[in-house]
Amino acid sequence: MSAVTEQRPTAMQRATQGDADAFAMVLDPLLNPAYRLAAVMLSDRMAAEDAVQEAAVKAWRNLGQLRGDESSLRAWFLSIVANECRMTRRRRWWSVVKLADVEPDRGRAGLSQEATTDLRRAIARLSPDERLPLVLYFYLDLPLDEVARTLRVSPAAAKSRIYRAAQRLRSDLTLEEVS
Amino acid sequence: MTRESFRRDINREFDALSGSPSPALSARVRAALTENRPARIGPPVWMAGVAAAMIALIIVGVLVASNLNRHQTGIVPGTIPSPSSSPVVSARPNATPSAQASPTSPAGRYACGNSAASATNPPLSAFVNAVRTGTHAGYDQVTIQFSNGQPSDVNFDPQSTATFMESPKGQAITLAGQDGILITIKGADGHTQYSGPTDFNTNYPELKEMRQVQDFEGTVQWALGLAHPGCYAYTFLTNPTRLVIYIQQ
Repeated sequence: MSAVTEQRPTAMQRATQGDADAFAMVLDPLLNPAYRLAAVMLSDRMAAEDAVQEAAVKAWRNLGQLRGDESSLRAWFLSIVANECRMTRRRRWWSVVKLADVEPDRGRAGLSQEATTDLRRAIARLSPDERLPLVLYFYLDLPLDEVARTLRVSPAAAKSRIYRAAQRLRSDLTLEEVS
Repeated sequence: MTRESFRRDINREFDALSGSPSPALSARVRAALTENRPARIGPPVWMAGVAAAMIALIIVGVLVASNLNRHQTGIVPGTIPSPSSSPVVSARPNATPSAQASPTSPAGRYACGNSAASATNPPLSAFVNAVRTGTHAGYDQVTIQFSNGQPSDVNFDPQSTATFMESPKGQAITLAGQDGILITIKGADGHTQYSGPTDFNTNYPELKEMRQVQDFEGTVQWALGLAHPGCYAYTFLTNPTRLVIYIQQ
């Protein structure tokens, strides 16, 4: 006697067939880390949520470009979020130049007021692209190979980027501590 | 400061910087996804382009194949319609397709059996005024040109030898090659307007020799000596009217 098991399509399979609700379901667990990544990169919580929303739409539109299976989704989506943050900063730089007299950069102003510790000041001095590997590795606790896939570099290069950024926060950090 | 304490400290600062996402973020993203249908779900653009090109090739191939089949089973097997020509022939297409047949002939699929074509309004006698041979990649070619229209009947009879009966002498002649095809043109005249050679020693890959074996009582016969059992296709072209035979190599 043989059992016939009905194979129901996974949410990811339904998403690739154009089911937006299924894609939202797949993406839901990734929204929190995506938001944290964006918030640290942008130092602006509202802008971070906007960036995550925009990245989700871009991921949805380009789901066909996802290489690999569902396990690759997190690194792929976070890389889109990081790229969206870079674009947001470019747009914001332009709006700050245009609207500096009427709308100061609230994120930076707020950050400077809160930067009371040495570490916080050091983090504030990092560029968003320097913060990115630290967020991925320490804050989101991604394994090194997934950090590398998100940064779209080799694992060795990812490790090097983590080490260089961390060293700017803690000068006595050794490479062995980043492993 | 240990690695773990470093991680704890940096995460505390990142926590302070980011806070937590608003509870509405999930619903907001879901709404945005629903409003923005994906522009493209599936393979990248270049793959879509390759697929489109392949589909187009398949469609063209099917159209070409169906066109060739239409010629083979139509009025005259292998006839290529010409804008200036009218359907002046009828046929009894009894040609048997060859196992080796391939649609590489300009007139369509090759046939290896007997076949015949006839014209609906032929002249009293179609005058041959030129005969030519040629060889091309994949086929050898024979062209018999008529000055005043298409003859009433043309028969193609393949045979397994290169020996033919010369008429009206009744003398057997053997051409170069191992096999042959006898082309019988009824309602034709091969001597009034044609004074060229009546024996072509071509030595082409398939057509080894071609000789006129009859030009008598309104019937012209040309014998083809072939290297192998001959598969052929033919067509009538106009301006000028000519019978073109393609012999598969």
